[in-house]
Amino acid sequence: MRERSRRLFHPESDIVTDVITRLEPDSRAASRGLSDLTIRNLFIIPTIAFLIIFNVFPLLYSLWTSFTDFRASTTAPANWIGLANYRELLNDPFIWRNFTITAKYVIISVTGQVVVGFGLAMLLNRAIPFKGLVTTLLLLPMMLSMAVVGLFWKLLYDPSFGIINYFLGLGKFEWLADPQVALWAVAIVDIWMWSPFVMLLSLAGLSAVPKHLYEAAEIDRAGPFYTFFRITLPLVAPILMIAIIFRTMEAFKTFDHAYILSSQPTTELIAIRLYKMAFLEWQTGLSSAFAYIVLIMVVAITNIYVKYLNRAKAR
Amino acid sequence: MAEVKTKSEVVMNRVAIVAVFVALIIMLTPIYWIASTAFKPRSLATTVPPTVMFEPTLTPFAKLFVRRSQMREPVEQEVYEAAPWWEKLIYDDGENVVRNRRSGDITPSGYADRYKNSLIISIISTFLAVSMGTLTAYGFSRFKVKGEQDWLFFILSTRMLPPVVVAIPMFLMYRTVGLHDTHLGLIILYTAFNLSFAVWIMKGFIDEIPKEYEEAALVDGYTRLQAFLKIVLPEALTGIAATAVFCFIIAWNEYAFALMMTNRNAQTAPPYIPSQVGSGLPDWSVIAAGAFLFLLPVAIFTFLLRNHLLRGMSFGAIRK
Amino acid sequence: MVLGTETAMQLNWEEIEMRSYACRLLAGAAVLALWAPSANAQELTIFWAEWDPANYLQELVNEYEEETGVMVTVETTPWQDFQTKAFTEFNARGNAYDMIVGDSQWLGAASEGGHYVDLTEFFKEHDLGNVMAPATVKYYAEYPGNSGKFWAIPAEGDAVGWSYRKDWFEDPEEMKAFEEKYGYPLAVPETWQQLIDIAEFFHRPDENRYGIAIYTDNSYDGLVMGVENALFSYGADLGDYETYEVEGILNSDQAVEALEAYRQLYQYTPPGWSKTFFVENNQAITEGLAAMSMNYFAFFPALVNPATNPNAENTGFFANPAGPDGDQFAALGGQGISIVSYSDNIDESYKFLEWFIQDDVQKRWAELGGYTAHAKTLESDEFRNATPYNEAFYQTMFKVKDFWAVPEYAELLTAANQRLYPYVVGGEGTAKEVLDALTEDWKETFKKYGRTN
Repeated sequence: MRERSRRLFHPESDIVTDVITRLEPDSRAASRGLSDLTIRNLFIIPTIAFLIIFNVFPLLYSLWTSFTDFRASTTAPANWIGLANYRELLNDPFIWRNFTITAKYVIISVTGQVVVGFGLAMLLNRAIPFKGLVTTLLLLPMMLSMAVVGLFWKLLYDPSFGIINYFLGLGKFEWLADPQVALWAVAIVDIWMWSPFVMLLSLAGLSAVPKHLYEAAEIDRAGPFYTFFRITLPLVAPILMIAIIFRTMEAFKTFDHAYILSSQPTTELIAIRLYKMAFLEWQTGLSSAFAYIVLIMVVAITNIYVKYLNRAKAR
Repeated sequence: MAEVKTKSEVVMNRVAIVAVFVALIIMLTPIYWIASTAFKPRSLATTVPPTVMFEPTLTPFAKLFVRRSQMREPVEQEVYEAAPWWEKLIYDDGENVVRNRRSGDITPSGYADRYKNSLIISIISTFLAVSMGTLTAYGFSRFKVKGEQDWLFFILSTRMLPPVVVAIPMFLMYRTVGLHDTHLGLIILYTAFNLSFAVWIMKGFIDEIPKEYEEAALVDGYTRLQAFLKIVLPEALTGIAATAVFCFIIAWNEYAFALMMTNRNAQTAPPYIPSQVGSGLPDWSVIAAGAFLFLLPVAIFTFLLRNHLLRGMSFGAIRK
Repeated sequence: MVLGTETAMQLNWEEIEMRSYACRLLAGAAVLALWAPSANAQELTIFWAEWDPANYLQELVNEYEEETGVMVTVETTPWQDFQTKAFTEFNARGNAYDMIVGDSQWLGAASEGGHYVDLTEFFKEHDLGNVMAPATVKYYAEYPGNSGKFWAIPAEGDAVGWSYRKDWFEDPEEMKAFEEKYGYPLAVPETWQQLIDIAEFFHRPDENRYGIAIYTDNSYDGLVMGVENALFSYGADLGDYETYEVEGILNSDQAVEALEAYRQLYQYTPPGWSKTFFVENNQAITEGLAAMSMNYFAFFPALVNPATNPNAENTGFFANPAGPDGDQFAALGGQGISIVSYSDNIDESYKFLEWFIQDDVQKRWAELGGYTAHAKTLESDEFRNATPYNEAFYQTMFKVKDFWAVPEYAELLTAANQRLYPYVVGGEGTAKEVLDALTEDWKETFKKYGRTN
């Protein structure tokens, strides 16, 4: 027991010994300068140690509070209540609604970002005049702060003051007041803001696909679809996959602009409910349990993605 | 392929140019709206229907830097006459400047100080995240590490927990070790936020740099470190530029922790910008002015790196 | 992977060393903490949200500095994060703030949590129960209800009132048409029925003119504040604040009627009125969208300023109208000032509060733009005629009611938002169903916290 608890609190010791025990026989440059092993340890250990030290307390703290009735708004001591928080959450119909809404939102927004972002990258990969300037301009949306984006899009969507209805001639179309449309409206903002992220990473992959591969395909009279799916996509897939992983993780955490834009129950994402639970209701214990449920889901989903990523790389 | 363009290729290129142009208009309209609102008089920011043509003014920028309050009685004529032009703009807009009781000086709004803090914190944390991320990515890419996948997943997972929940323990931790309300505290925080991203993206890029390059260099008598610095780093420049841009954007715009972890010393600008509610009417043009000025450093930074961003990854030469 | 004993031993030593180092660090920090306050005991910090009244308060406390030499700083943070920041500071037992101008609903959480200094003695000594308007004392200062324990001094009084377009109301043609349609003259509404009639009358989407602007934002207390205005005037209540009884009170016939009235008002709001609070409601007047608009008094100064409101000359104000049985109440906003338990300058803070409650200081506070809760100042003609909205404010401050102030008030708020919003904005279900469901939710919450059996 003591042994285990020490390892919990000093996990960095694991990797230290780990790394040291695995000597590389083929360290060619060992005789000159720093050995490969030293370099590897110097490069990796500080980062991992830093991340462990930084994250271990918050992680353990919230894990512990998730089993208590702790409220951070009081100085009253927390009581251990076992799995009661988890039980309460899993029995709350409103929470289940939060999950389905979030799932829908993540799918819409990440798909949208990949389609728009990758599409833009394909376009930019051609001979476009002023490419540097155009790319920088296209990246502007993601440079704004989420809160500002939320505030201004609320204004843009407004049926009275907004330019969206005005320019598109949609009259008094209610983007945010219609419960069915509101989630799409929130997702559109996310797509607008983060497609450039996918675009930039895809572009880095695309612009390096060697020309001779295309030439070879042309000689073989391969159609554009064949070229795309057999040459372009496989080569870009690893970096695109990383973009998707990060966008999915972020989409699960979407808060600011959704909170500012809409009050609809149909747009109450997990992060919004979590925020209310943690900082308005001060149910710190309950919100920690909620967060752990979310964490387990995100870990599971990301794991699947990483598997795909590794498969894409192996190709 | 460059010279001999088929007819369809030429057509496709034209279509692409048109499509990019359309995309630019769509993507930039909201940005244009924010930028133009920054130069609008307050009364034209929200109108029915929206105002597209207007005479630009600098009033929002003057207001952004000064502490003001709702004007309750008209300002005295002498005070108005003696005021510099930008102060007059504020009076004309129906607000009073808040003065220091003792010195009579105008009190700054805090935007400038916060802006400076944002610059310090974002630049240093971006530098740290990118350099640590690059080294770690190289380590994982080139050497055998036991449990490599697990460690990488651990690094990734540090970004998964919703920030709302780690906020309280983080706050307590910072309080205890004295990092609360310090520049260093936020620098560490943002470095930690961005590290997982930096490691993963950089690993993606470095994995694509053929190992053969370094091996040839090692045979030529380079040390491993020299090979890394002279061969790998230049090849990974696109990745480094992209990572730097992203990390900078994240650190620059971070809102929730910036608010919770700071009081007076290390406050950054993002929480300040949307707070211009004043007396119950949002000052849209001041919010826009704040956002506009805040966009500039990132936009310039990205523009300077544009050529590196566009060079692409280095895979290909050898890979089939 | 198993650690060798040697490594374990080593780790143990490291641990011990680390610990003693940490101890030294902590000790150092403690010494520093002890040193710091005594060095600048002549400074006080008051924490409040970022808005105009905080600027007025800064102006007021500057005068305190002139008199006593004690420097007082009003530190602010954006409204949306005020609550979070205050409570995280409390939770860490931080001494960053000596006093705080906190929301009335915080009383329960802050007093039970031990964050506020008990001001009961101070209250008795200065007879504040009579010096301040009684309704404000009840909601800004006392917790639990009728317990005789006081935790704050009413500082910024506030409640929900109404602004309206005088020029629309006084247009002879409109007046004629209105009287023909409804059988009584068009004037400032005195009852909720008249309010609904007028809203309906002015609701003309074709002309880009709408009847009324109300609160619908459910992210905190916006929507609930709006509904309260109807509920209280219709003679209903949210429950019994002493016994925590809600059955038959929250879902009484009057409450059902009141909620239906609020839902009806929503029909006459401008398009897209689905997440609106004080900002949007003021805009409804400045942009000429609505004939009437509900808002906190604290936000009315912007409406009489021609630079911010092009319709300033034509904007009038009235107090929340009465319900069918003549009850007339309004939802309370505003804050009281409390001393933070973890402050290093509690005595200094008491001295400041003693200064703050003086008659002439309260009068000065009102002159600077603060909404005093000081009874004598409120009643003076000078105050009542100072602005176009002060009279309505004066009338309102003697008939205000507030939301629950229990520590779990935010949970009650969440449940209310979840139940009320779909009905008011989406028209789902009936008022009766909604209030019955909410009654059940609240009963469960009170049971959970052991307030009822």
